[in-house]
Amino acid sequence: MAELAEKLEILADSAKYDVACTSSGVDRGGRHGSLGSCSAAGICHSFTPDGRCVSLLKVLLSNACCYDCCYCVNRRSNDVPRATFTPRELAELTIGFYRRNYIEGLFLSSAVLGSPDITMERMIEALRILREEYHFRGYIHAKTIPGADALLIHRLGMLADRLSVNIELPSEESLHRLAPDKQKSAVLRPMGQIAAEARQNQRELQLYRTAPKFAPAGQSTQMIIGASPETDRHILTLTEALYKKYSLKRVFYSAYLPVVQDSRLPALTTRPPLLREHRLYQADWLLRFYHFSAGELLSENEPNFDPYLDPKCDWAVRHPEFFPVEVNRAPLNELLRVPGIGPKSARRIVKARKLQTLGMPELKRLGVVLKRAQYFITCNGCLGAHGSRSEIAGALVDPKAFGVGMQQLSLDDFLPTALPDAAPQMHQLTGQGMPAQEAAQLLRQEAVTCITGRM
Amino acid sequence: MHYRADVKDLVYRYDGSFAGFLCCVFESFAHKEVPLAIAAPGQAQLSLYPEREIVTVETNARRVFAGIGRLGGAVRYRLAIAFLSGEEEKDMDLLRFIRRAFEIGPNAAAMLGDAAVCRAWELERTVQNEAHLMIEFLRFEQRGNMLGAVIHPKNRVLPLLRAHFCSRLPDESFLICDATHHTAMLRRGDVVQYLPMDQYDPEPDAAEEQWQRMWRRFFQALTIEERRNETCQRTHCPKRFWQDMCEMPLYQKAGRNREKQ
Repeated sequence: MAELAEKLEILADSAKYDVACTSSGVDRGGRHGSLGSCSAAGICHSFTPDGRCVSLLKVLLSNACCYDCCYCVNRRSNDVPRATFTPRELAELTIGFYRRNYIEGLFLSSAVLGSPDITMERMIEALRILREEYHFRGYIHAKTIPGADALLIHRLGMLADRLSVNIELPSEESLHRLAPDKQKSAVLRPMGQIAAEARQNQRELQLYRTAPKFAPAGQSTQMIIGASPETDRHILTLTEALYKKYSLKRVFYSAYLPVVQDSRLPALTTRPPLLREHRLYQADWLLRFYHFSAGELLSENEPNFDPYLDPKCDWAVRHPEFFPVEVNRAPLNELLRVPGIGPKSARRIVKARKLQTLGMPELKRLGVVLKRAQYFITCNGCLGAHGSRSEIAGALVDPKAFGVGMQQLSLDDFLPTALPDAAPQMHQLTGQGMPAQEAAQLLRQEAVTCITGRM
Repeated sequence: MHYRADVKDLVYRYDGSFAGFLCCVFESFAHKEVPLAIAAPGQAQLSLYPEREIVTVETNARRVFAGIGRLGGAVRYRLAIAFLSGEEEKDMDLLRFIRRAFEIGPNAAAMLGDAAVCRAWELERTVQNEAHLMIEFLRFEQRGNMLGAVIHPKNRVLPLLRAHFCSRLPDESFLICDATHHTAMLRRGDVVQYLPMDQYDPEPDAAEEQWQRMWRRFFQALTIEERRNETCQRTHCPKRFWQDMCEMPLYQKAGRNREKQ
């Protein structure tokens, strides 16, 4: 048991840089004789001190890798403790945690153990034990190993709910430079196969309700941000193409954390670009839930996101002709473009305005974030609020970029510092010795002036 | 339809049950009046206003419930969920909501811009949200051949946990103890019972401790130090839940040990 705990620690530590920890996309009730259920919205079970959710038992089957990708902790030439689960150990661990409501299911990935095919076979064995011997009906997310046989991917998909193939880096050159053992085709081929099989499975399910399901929660992918020189525009365009072409459910971004010293990579002292990662996720949401397209958010001239404005506010500042929007009449997709109105409040507005005319107090009750929205809407012809350009800019600017707070890392750490996800300029100024609050004030003023100038 | 009612300097006192509350609604319509407050038994009432004891009469409660049924599923559902709220003024808010719903009709549930409707909707959301957080953060312990858990919710969320856990653990017996409201939900075989319970003291045995240690190690291994953001952690998982979560730092200090004293 103690040995198993040790293995778990090593393999969880190796898996923690995988971003995806979602348990969403499939609804499946419980059934007598089996264990577990799934809920389509996904359920988180805990939150680690870095603020990320723990939803699945995220482990590697093994971290003894035969590849040598230079950005990866588990690469062959790195000196770290190695461990490998047997498929049965892993299945028992999953069931034990699941019964205690610690997790929602299993997220299984692995380093390449010998060859991709051998690794995949062991993963499939672990999932088979879970599904067929323990009759586990919880969530399973499995990561396919690049270069594995198509038949193995098919078998994995019949056991797992979601599959993922990591494209790792946003362009082929970077992949070639940083991960010499991986090829772009080895990543895109399984992705295409999964998309094709899922479509095929859809047709089967239309004919036979009880047809076995292939990866019912779809597939996802992940890429590293900041290890290579691509622009935000390049990344977002790639994301959009992935959603359209391979009908991915999610694209995850992971801010590059320097874990190894290598001349091809950013220096070890580089901060992870957390704010950039946040902006990309915001844009990703705009693509998926707000009917935006990548071309609208970024252009050739402005290929990167503004650190002080979220992408939606940025779009609003660039398109004054679109506003104000009349909340009592505008269609849903126009409401969705107003800063401060999200899919939830937009739907609430559409529902509530059938029965009554909406004014500002009503909008407030519906939960619309009026701080930003008030300048962009009219209620029955009356503007929500009159504001000077600098007032509007002050409401739009993203406070996250100037985050200051206490981080209790040690006992003598009682001075407020710039939070890890603040703008890079904040870190630069505080690094030069300026007190964090002063730096935040200064930068905020600058940002507001800059945005005012653009309006 | 408009129902005339005067605000009276009066406090209704009832037994705290749902039927009792429906009788308060009955009383309000029967006397064409709206009280200043409705007080449940546990509530300390410091007022100089006269009180009226509302006796729970089942036929009256049924009449009101049938009337609410005619207002549609959404209204009835909102009322039932919001009644589980632990807030002190919830009875008064719900009375206003019901009166408003009888005026407007079945559309009332969707009229979220209205103050009374919105308040009931807020109560409903608070209860639902807390129930969802409980589904996330509840931790079972193996005890003999049963699973046991202790929770400290603000609202009476046990009925909302029932469907989820019965479906998820179809062949297990389990007990969830709501330590705030001294109630427990016991599921044995296919039967679910709600029992009064003051104290539940699961003493984890060696094997159980081993599982918890393993889970704690996993949890610690998963943290990326460079991304540390405790504010974000507390936003998603407020500290009040930590006392019942075995991987969190406050668990040992506040959780089981305090209950033993």
